[in-house]
Amino acid sequence: MHIDTFKDTINACRFCFMCRHLDPVGNVTFRESDTPRGRALICDRIRMNAANLQNPDYIDTLYRSALSAANRTHCVSHYDETGLCLAMRRDVVAAGLASETVKALAKTLETEVFTVKGKGKILYYGGHPELYSDCKTISGKDPGKALEVLGFSAASKKVFARFKKAVAASQCQTLIVAEPSAYDFLKDKLAGIKVVHVAEHLLAANPKAAKTRKAYYLESDFLRNYDSNPSAPRDLLKALGYALLPFGTNDEESYAVGEGAVVFDALNPKLCAKLCARVYGLAHDSKKPLFITASLYVRDTLRKYNPAFNVITIEEAAAQSAS
Amino acid sequence: MTPKDYLYEMIRSELTWAVGDDNVQTNDADTLGHSLDYYWVPECWHDRGERLTPPDFVVHPSTAKEVSEVLKIANTHNIPVTPWGGGSGSQGGALPIYGGIILDMKRMNKVLAIDPVSMTVTVEVGINTQHLEWAVEKAGYSTMHFPASIACATLGGFIAHRGTGVLSTKYGKIEDMIMSLEVVTPTGEIINTLPVPRHASGPSLTELYLGSEGTLGVVTRATMKIHPIPESRKFHAFLFKTMHDAMIAGSKIMTSRLRPCVIRLYDETETAKLVKRVLDIDKEGVYLVFGFDGPEKMVDLQLENACAICAKTASEDLGTEAGQNWWKNRYKFFYPPYMFHMPQAFGTLDTVATFSNIEKVYWAMKNTVNQNFPQATFIGHFSHWYDWGCMLYARFIIDEPPEDPREAIALYNKIWDMAIRAAIKEGGVINEHHGVGLKLGRIMRDLYGPAFTILESIKKTLDPNNIMNPGKLGFPGKGA
Repeated sequence: MHIDTFKDTINACRFCFMCRHLDPVGNVTFRESDTPRGRALICDRIRMNAANLQNPDYIDTLYRSALSAANRTHCVSHYDETGLCLAMRRDVVAAGLASETVKALAKTLETEVFTVKGKGKILYYGGHPELYSDCKTISGKDPGKALEVLGFSAASKKVFARFKKAVAASQCQTLIVAEPSAYDFLKDKLAGIKVVHVAEHLLAANPKAAKTRKAYYLESDFLRNYDSNPSAPRDLLKALGYALLPFGTNDEESYAVGEGAVVFDALNPKLCAKLCARVYGLAHDSKKPLFITASLYVRDTLRKYNPAFNVITIEEAAAQSAS
Repeated sequence: MTPKDYLYEMIRSELTWAVGDDNVQTNDADTLGHSLDYYWVPECWHDRGERLTPPDFVVHPSTAKEVSEVLKIANTHNIPVTPWGGGSGSQGGALPIYGGIILDMKRMNKVLAIDPVSMTVTVEVGINTQHLEWAVEKAGYSTMHFPASIACATLGGFIAHRGTGVLSTKYGKIEDMIMSLEVVTPTGEIINTLPVPRHASGPSLTELYLGSEGTLGVVTRATMKIHPIPESRKFHAFLFKTMHDAMIAGSKIMTSRLRPCVIRLYDETETAKLVKRVLDIDKEGVYLVFGFDGPEKMVDLQLENACAICAKTASEDLGTEAGQNWWKNRYKFFYPPYMFHMPQAFGTLDTVATFSNIEKVYWAMKNTVNQNFPQATFIGHFSHWYDWGCMLYARFIIDEPPEDPREAIALYNKIWDMAIRAAIKEGGVINEHHGVGLKLGRIMRDLYGPAFTILESIKKTLDPNNIMNPGKLGFPGKGA
């Protein structure tokens, strides 16, 4: 089983409570199973007896994880409980035990098609193609990351192969990626093309600051906890004239409402609404605050459960400054 | 359907009516997570593939009224209720050893009010203590409660077992921090203790519930002290040739009535093993670190005095950096892989005594362990210092305990029995801040003597059906 390669993580996390305060799901469900310890205990039971993999309660719990990786970042030894969850999901899928909801969701992701349009030497992949008139753009929602996160490795590879083929056909030398989950997935996977996050690209253009405005920057799970926390998003926003305020009570928790699980809202809408409610609750003491996120997923999800919530993406912030 | 099945469903229905459908769990994932806490025995049991006793129901109340409803249901059906905070207790206090209801308090996590005039915070006690500290810090204050388990435990858990944090030497243990409590009694009445902890209006009901480990009711709300963020906090470390020299220096700091926020003294073995591994200080001897906080001028003056005391007998002045480094890494000792872990057997022989007795307690326990259990290593450090004495955080570690869990647990209990009784004989009190739980219940009669009957009488009066955390704190189990 895939979880066997995470034996050290299981042994470290199954009796350890030291990061439980940072599990976004555990912090809204209050369930012991929704903590790294709870999930590691489950994986340990499965490791001891593979028949336990069939337990639907265990499967449901592992698909409830928001995979924020805040716990892994916090741990002084950085034990990879996030990787363990993903390994168990692969085991679930390999055993044909994924729930009907998960299977149905995976099916919608398997048919992703990627089309390159426009002119230019740079290829843009994101939700705001209108902002990149001098670039080629590649369409398609997810390059295989979502399937990978759901445990469908083979299907993920097939989707990624289509994405790779489209990128190669573009003959571009640089790929700008907007969505942090896609950036995390692609940054080390594509040979012969430089992959940069959109914040790096926009910052390199030396943007001019507009009038100073206050805003909260909601840290991305992927950028902060998966990709070494690049300073580009914050540097860009500062360069654009945004005075960034600290949000919440600390700088370790994830307020990215399931971004790390890529399709968290589609899979667990009720739970996702609770994650959003936590963010809204922490924002209540600010008057008409502006929130900025690197992720279109985060923006759309926060707007979905509270249309009045004032949240924009980094790219929208840059466009507003330019206009 | 058997009568048991009928009854199970009736109770589940009553509980969901009381707290809502989403707040009663019976599934395997949740009951697994609640079937073991941080006590070594259930961890060993799990590690060896044995099945633990799960709760029948995991219930998450959101108000004192809901807690009251749950306790009334439990009394009606005579089923045990085990309160659960973070589940990170090391004494088995939160284990549902008779099944029944786990009352998981984490949903009661609101900060209700901060009083900047009196410097207090009123809070629901299911709050995670790191979350509490963050919320209080955002308002410009601190609880000054920094235990190693700050990220795991709830305030209620600390109240239940008289927990403490690393700055206790100045700011006190949880019992020194608490002003008043709201409690749901075992029969479901919601009561409040007096609003201030110092008075002459009879015995303190707040004190009755501090350390009661969920056996006398459920604490639902607390008002506790908060403090200004200190202008300065500085540390310094010394190395001593012997533990005795270091102990004399530490006790002189305290008896000269300096006010350090922390003193830690690691014995030779712990200095050689843990201090080396975690702090990268590779020295032979005894490592002692202390710190002061407050206005900078006062900090500097006190630090100067404490350093002068230590300099007289220390073998090496390790300086400020070695002290600051300890503060920075103070929790690292408790993360894997630095913390002891399976298959090792390990226990914390947490004992408190006067300065006159504390070294005798240390040697009594160390000699008992070394002479009777050659397979065990004994290590210790002294933390949580008072005007009159300090706490010994002694530990035994067996790298290769018996594979059979029953044999391993029997050996483990034997070490506890002998070491703790040796400590009691030398004037030690078990224990300082981990509580009693299931682990040390059998020692309570030895510790208290005839006075234990008073505690038993209180338990019987308040909890006539013995539903509250039966079998803990030395009180009878459910079948008794």
